[in-house]
Amino acid sequence: MKPVHLALVLAIVCAVAGWQAAVIPESLMQMTVGPTLVPAVVVAGLSVLVLLYGLSALRGREVDESHAPDQSPLPGASTRLLSLLGGGLAFMLLVLPLGFVVPATLCGMGVARAFDAPLGLKSALICGAIASLFWYVFAQVLGVGLGPALPWLF
Amino acid sequence: MSSLDALLAGFGNALQPATLMWGFVGCFVGTLVGVLPGIGPALTIALLLPLTYHVPATSMFVMFAGIYYGAAYGGSTTSILIKTPGEASSMMTALEGNKMARRGRAGQALATAAIGSFVAGTIGTLALTFFAPMVVEAALAFGPAEYFSLMVLSLVAVSAVLGNSMLRGLLALGLGLLLGLVGVDLQTGQARFTFGNAQLLDGIEVTVAAVGLFAVGEALYLAWQGRESKGSEVMKLSGSLWMSRQDWARSWKAWFRGAFYGFPIGAMPAGGAELPTLLSYYTEKKLSKHPEEFGHGAIEGVAGPEAANNAAAAGVLMPLLTLGIPTSATAAIMLSAFEGYGIQTGPQLFSAQGSLVWTLIASLYIGNVILLVLNLPLVGLWVKLLKIPPPWLYAGIIVISTAGVYGAGNSVFNVGLLFVFGLIGYAMRRFDFPVAPLIVGLILAPMAEQSMRQALTISMGDWSTFITRPLSASLLGISALLLVVPVLWRRWKSQRG
Repeated sequence: MKPVHLALVLAIVCAVAGWQAAVIPESLMQMTVGPTLVPAVVVAGLSVLVLLYGLSALRGREVDESHAPDQSPLPGASTRLLSLLGGGLAFMLLVLPLGFVVPATLCGMGVARAFDAPLGLKSALICGAIASLFWYVFAQVLGVGLGPALPWLF
Repeated sequence: MSSLDALLAGFGNALQPATLMWGFVGCFVGTLVGVLPGIGPALTIALLLPLTYHVPATSMFVMFAGIYYGAAYGGSTTSILIKTPGEASSMMTALEGNKMARRGRAGQALATAAIGSFVAGTIGTLALTFFAPMVVEAALAFGPAEYFSLMVLSLVAVSAVLGNSMLRGLLALGLGLLLGLVGVDLQTGQARFTFGNAQLLDGIEVTVAAVGLFAVGEALYLAWQGRESKGSEVMKLSGSLWMSRQDWARSWKAWFRGAFYGFPIGAMPAGGAELPTLLSYYTEKKLSKHPEEFGHGAIEGVAGPEAANNAAAAGVLMPLLTLGIPTSATAAIMLSAFEGYGIQTGPQLFSAQGSLVWTLIASLYIGNVILLVLNLPLVGLWVKLLKIPPPWLYAGIIVISTAGVYGAGNSVFNVGLLFVFGLIGYAMRRFDFPVAPLIVGLILAPMAEQSMRQALTISMGDWSTFITRPLSASLLGISALLLVVPVLWRRWKSQRG
């Protein structure tokens, strides 16, 4: 991905935001500033800035850390990103049926894999311990609602 | 009741065993957070926001203040021992402190950082004690128009002054404002930018955005780079922790100078801590009798910037408490915490919640003492923590982030938003967009809109109210200057050379 691509993504965001701003119903209440003015101004301003950013990116003036000598990614960057995001997805899909600990363990394993720790028993045990500890501290000690640790036990 | 009486009453509350315990916890967690790379005070406070349902307000804010100051202390340890500043404001400490460590003087570097932080933190807190009531008096003259203009100034300053590019800063701000408008309009009840999704009617939680941008975004960026698992060299802590007489002689003036840079700049919108630490470093270099040591481990190069960093932390609390304006991402999260308790920050805070505010200020003094006592003896523990392998460190960070966000509302949708913000944070890091404007925009957008609408209601729809009221006009004028002057300055410089 390059700055130009980012500018395109931002332009799409502005287009969607513009559409959403246009469908905000006007209020029947009498007021100088209704619910649509500020969103419209923000979207318009953002669109101008995105255009300027796009032009600057086309001229090659925008920063991309992948080209910086000590910041460029080592091979396998996409795999590492997907591994981390995969951990998050596993949590989202499994937390309701399986409780907190197992999905959080899988999430942790995905993150650890993104930092080059191999998937295996060691990773599962360490991430399981982390997940269990946080469930205990948050849910039991602090009373934060994380749901059951494991659905068939607690 | 004079400020001194109120402060003494605050000490009475802050020294209660339960409150003191929370302060201690905050200082410990804050130092831990400051030591560990990848977590900062903003993220930590955001993760602990769910506790606001279970812990009394006074104890919570005492803990948050401890975390806030503690992180500034802890960041110096990482900077000195592994040359990895936790935040931009610790850069100069990383530069000089790590060089001192390489010459076998890590102990002295840590000592001057800790003592300087204590001195400057105390000076900053004293300044907060005596100037805050004056600012409150002045702020009572503020109406909705002035508040709107002040928020515009804060938003412009955070975007235009911080970071390497005004364009990218303003873009980040624009995105933050857009995200801040998601949800139901408070005055009319109309849903905005919700795509018909009921989960977005209450808007985007600041916690989700902050944790996503800082924790998940940082982890994604570092995972993308792939260099973290190669490990960083942690300097050995050998030799004495004690400073020599010469070290003291070279440090004490730098501490005071750093404090006098840090507090006023930290108190300004977008002042932050980066600018005072840089100013302090260059001042010490100019004034030092040993300028040749700078870049190779000059103790003043650690003493001054660390003091400036900590004094700026106190300075940031000034506009937050007196005006209700957050001037940094951490302050923005703390504002959310106040709102969680239904407490309105601003001039009324000192009269409506005087006991809480003065207890908080008193606990800052106590926190400084706790931190000085904690940091030096426990430095061996902090060094051990730095050796946690990155896969398990970041696994822990992401799991605790996910737990915090999920626990706040039992919402899988919010966890999804967390990772979306993580992707945004990664992109911002990769393409050099500053994050602070997005967070501040997210929080201030609805507040600024409310103030604007109130001002127009009072003026019967007359837009000139923002310009005809002198204070409001001055604030808008400064905002315009902040936008225009840097551009003109760069053009003039490029024409000259």
